[in-house]
Amino acid sequence: MRNKFKMLVAIAATAALALTGCAAGDSGGGSNEPFKVVAFTSGNQTPIGAWWVKAVTAKAEELGWDLTMVQGDFDFQKMNPAVESAIGQGTDAVFDGYTDVASIGSIVTAASDAGVPIFAMDSATEATDAFVVNVIPDQQLIVDETAGAIEQNLGTLEGKNIMVIGHDPHAGIRERSGLAVETFTAAGANVVGGEPQQIISPATGRDEALKLVADYLAANPGGLDAVWTGWDDAAMGAVKAITEAGSSAVVTGVDAISESIAEIQAGGPFIATVEQPWPAILDTVIGYMVTYSESGDLPSSNFETVGVTLVTAENAADITPSDKL
Amino acid sequence: MATTLDPQKKPKDQPLTTSSITVAQESFSKRFGKTFLQGGTVVAFVLLVIFFFSMRPDVFLSFTNVRNILYQVSILAIIACAQTLVMVVGDFDLSVGAISSLAGSVTGALMIAEMPMWPAIMVGLLVGLGIGVFNGLMIAYLNLSAFVATLATMTSVVGLAFLVTEGTTLFQFPEAFNELGQGRLFEIPMPVYFAVIISLIIWLTLKYTTLGRAWHAVGGNQEVSRLSGVNVRRARFLAFALAGLISAIGGILLAARLGSASAIQGEDNMMFSVAAVFLGMTILKSGMANLAGTMIGVGIIGVMSNGFNILGVNSYVQQVVTGLIIILAVTLSSLKNRER
Repeated sequence: MRNKFKMLVAIAATAALALTGCAAGDSGGGSNEPFKVVAFTSGNQTPIGAWWVKAVTAKAEELGWDLTMVQGDFDFQKMNPAVESAIGQGTDAVFDGYTDVASIGSIVTAASDAGVPIFAMDSATEATDAFVVNVIPDQQLIVDETAGAIEQNLGTLEGKNIMVIGHDPHAGIRERSGLAVETFTAAGANVVGGEPQQIISPATGRDEALKLVADYLAANPGGLDAVWTGWDDAAMGAVKAITEAGSSAVVTGVDAISESIAEIQAGGPFIATVEQPWPAILDTVIGYMVTYSESGDLPSSNFETVGVTLVTAENAADITPSDKL
Repeated sequence: MATTLDPQKKPKDQPLTTSSITVAQESFSKRFGKTFLQGGTVVAFVLLVIFFFSMRPDVFLSFTNVRNILYQVSILAIIACAQTLVMVVGDFDLSVGAISSLAGSVTGALMIAEMPMWPAIMVGLLVGLGIGVFNGLMIAYLNLSAFVATLATMTSVVGLAFLVTEGTTLFQFPEAFNELGQGRLFEIPMPVYFAVIISLIIWLTLKYTTLGRAWHAVGGNQEVSRLSGVNVRRARFLAFALAGLISAIGGILLAARLGSASAIQGEDNMMFSVAAVFLGMTILKSGMANLAGTMIGVGIIGVMSNGFNILGVNSYVQQVVTGLIIILAVTLSSLKNRER
């Protein structure tokens, strides 16, 4: 009797699993069921990440999608299993926002096993088979624009002492800070330390950048002409250190947050930042997902870069800050 | 007349006398070892200063650089005062960093909403005190483990801070507020004065008040303290409550210093405050937490960070070395406790 009961339970469990497997991995192509999407980001605690969560949720509602949103809090141990579980329960597509492909190997595997495409934005700095498309701002253009702003302000880069501040765990910042070192070196500038000065934690990035620049200026009075930072929060720390030391060095950042725009408009050391067109990028990726949902067609290229806008005192008033999207 | 005992002879063969007894002196190496264990942290601090000075004699001990170091450690010194209080009674507080961030965020958010500066600061301080009281109630009266309770508080408080700031960085505070963190008096930054005043108050309380003696007693042995008439629960409760208030002071000053407030900007102060207290514990024979030692610990952390930055040492290497030095200090403390 007990063995018969166990057999019945086993059969029921197998049937349930089989039905679940049938439900998962439905491709796009005009099914009558709502288009199911699992979206995730590890950066929901950043202003951009928080905006992305709201924007994607709004778009999903507008398009009638069945959306599962997973917010990671930079905790991959928590996020990855949650996303894999959501994929396992059945989805048509996965949308990765701002989460480095290097950290989501298990999610990529789960999606691949389920036959589900991953659409992404700002999730890798080069083409990868993990995504059917990944749209990112052009990192080289970011560097060209900001280095150009520094050059214009200083008159030349030749012989100038420039500190580059980066944070390697972030793929985008790592890419552009590396490009910045190459650009400045090629132009004949002296890059402090010959490599990007690393911020250990984005949470304390402003304070760390302040200490880095303050200590450098204490050791080298008047020996710094510019600070190039990979993101605005670190730039604000550099600005504070430069102001307190009475240095004439200039600073550039990336992100165009409201604080940096205000600082640029104030006419101090902060001379430029970069606006990355997140709403436009989101619309592009959503467009690809809509096409996939309707026809099953995937983008022709799995990697796209888009242009950015240099923000200076001239156009700062016209820019919507990235933390106010 | 002095009589010398011969360690080779059995006690019954020793001369009987009631005059003074001379015990054979310890070897020099043993005495040196004890002294090193006793003052290892101070020795480490002096050695670090000498090292960095020798590497950059033109810069390291200049007024500008010393002022930089004091400026950079002043907030940590305040948070470390909070941690010292809690560790004197034998507990931990993992939420000091989170409390400081929340207090700064609340104060900033209220000022942006056009509340006058001082009332906003008072609310921020009350928030810190409130969380400290909550910690104290859980730990002292509900007997929860301090580690678990403050870990849970830390998690919730960070979440609250994200709610208050809506995940963004608050800025555009009144100039008068920013002056608290960025102003100077006789060329010394204001946070340094705050750190000195708070440290002095805590030191005086610990050394000369009944409450301070109660805290030390509880930290030494709770059961003996209780049997001796010390209200152990109240002592622990007050330690956590004050730690919350002091952490809030640190967080508000940090917001003034940076001119901005975010949910996690005081994050690493918790870890460094614990490290500073542990470094300071090696100074006393008892191996107990003490304020003077904590300040030496804060000084070591500040000198290391500044010195490595001046020498251009990679941040990751700095982190490794800082961790190793803390391990060394904790090892010294544990060896000294065994020596007792």
